[in-house]
Amino acid sequence: MNESSPVISVRGVYKFFGRLTALENIDLDVYSQERIVVIGPSGSGKSTLLRAVNQLESIDRGTLTVNGSDVAHPKADLNKIRMGLGMVFQNFNLFPHKTVLQNLTLGPMKLKKVPKEQAESEAYPLLDKVGIRDKANVYPSKLSGGEKQRVAMARALAMNPSIMLFDEPTSALDPEMIGEVLDVMKDLAREGMTMVVVSHEMGFAREVADRVVFMDQGNIVERGTPEHFFQNPQHPRTQKFLSQIL
Amino acid sequence: MSQTDQRTQQSADKETAEDTGPGSYRIEVTDSAAIPDKSDKGLFTAWRVSAFGAIGLIILLCLVKPDPYWDILLFVPDGVLVTFEVTMLSILLSLIVGLITGLGRLSGNTFVNLTASTYVEVVRGIPLLVQLFYIYYALGTFTQIPPFTAAVIALTVCYGAYMGEIFRAGIDSIDYGQTEAARSLGFSSWQTMRFVIIPQAMRTILPPVGNEFIALLKDTSLVSIIAVSDLLRRGREFATSTFDYFETFTLVALLYLLITLFLSKIVNIMENRLTPYE
Repeated sequence: MNESSPVISVRGVYKFFGRLTALENIDLDVYSQERIVVIGPSGSGKSTLLRAVNQLESIDRGTLTVNGSDVAHPKADLNKIRMGLGMVFQNFNLFPHKTVLQNLTLGPMKLKKVPKEQAESEAYPLLDKVGIRDKANVYPSKLSGGEKQRVAMARALAMNPSIMLFDEPTSALDPEMIGEVLDVMKDLAREGMTMVVVSHEMGFAREVADRVVFMDQGNIVERGTPEHFFQNPQHPRTQKFLSQIL
Repeated sequence: MSQTDQRTQQSADKETAEDTGPGSYRIEVTDSAAIPDKSDKGLFTAWRVSAFGAIGLIILLCLVKPDPYWDILLFVPDGVLVTFEVTMLSILLSLIVGLITGLGRLSGNTFVNLTASTYVEVVRGIPLLVQLFYIYYALGTFTQIPPFTAAVIALTVCYGAYMGEIFRAGIDSIDYGQTEAARSLGFSSWQTMRFVIIPQAMRTILPPVGNEFIALLKDTSLVSIIAVSDLLRRGREFATSTFDYFETFTLVALLYLLITLFLSKIVNIMENRLTPYE
């Protein structure tokens, strides 16, 4: 694939929930190693957009390609496409019946037929990366929220994805745990991971994002670099939103 | 509020419920035996009183009046064995039927869903005794089914529907976020069931399945009516030849009670083994 072609390409995408238009004619390109932060009020469609990328949410109109594959095509091999897309959820969604280590190895072992020993030896460096190796044999119920989210990131990374999607990864966390999760995300960004992050963390957006996308009522209202976005927003709705949260 | 947000809200609620550990979801099923639990002191004591009372009474009766009690006790063991065989086979088969039915009830496929739902609805609306007669006598007009087979089929068909509802509720109780997490990693819907949902649902499912186990054991007494030589049938055979109705059915009742109490204890031990994930 051409280096300059986008890894995620959203073209004219619509999504309806009954009479509600959750996504309205969305266009967005994400390039390799780019960090996009999507912000906006709740109900603006930002999570729906993120979830449409790995088809946890289907789309009603438009095209959406990931790494060159049309994900909305009826014959798309979604399981294969999803293996290349790591996803981190607001509510962690760790597997409670598996230890931390098993949470990481389940995917590689069952989906990529990686032998157990190899899966584990590849999991430990990831646990080191998120700073939680000492809890490898603990069940998720014994972890704090921040630890859970770090394990969730490691679990997604264990599939060796080329793109990471984050759906409000810090929204369910106590304030003192937000930092440890953002730190791991910043490390990932520094390593050159392509990231799409739906978040309310403006500090993170300012520091890490290459581009910030502001959504409201199913539309992308404004997009630009963090400098443009935070210092010189053009659209009145963006200005209003920023004035309310900053 | 968009549907997505509502769903997130629901998973947030479930997350808190989950934190209290497994066992916070209890599927209540009627018509089950009382499972002795240490937290219910009265019931726990009642279990002991009943169990040791029954054993004591059987021993006492056999010592004080060996004719006919001792004779009855020697006569019925093959019946206990048959009761046991019918129970075990039916449980095993109804678990399989139940899993398929439960998955069918949750299927997005309209035809599969409707088939499973109709099966549950029809079976639950017909008394087990009538189902038993239907399979043995009514279908018997076309092809004669051996009594033992007919008994196992009837119990499987009946309890498969009940088990199906338990499986459905158990699988349904698992937070949808688990499915999303598994699918986002690349698991197919079947792999998600197999590796993520069913292992978790097992914990919720096991206690009510234990209850069904006991209920089924008691219901096997119905099969005596279609010439299966179970415990009750053997008792009747003894009673009709000796006219010791009071003595025979006293002992038969005590034996059923003992078996049921024994089983409920085992179910209780299994439940206690289900410690939280830690």
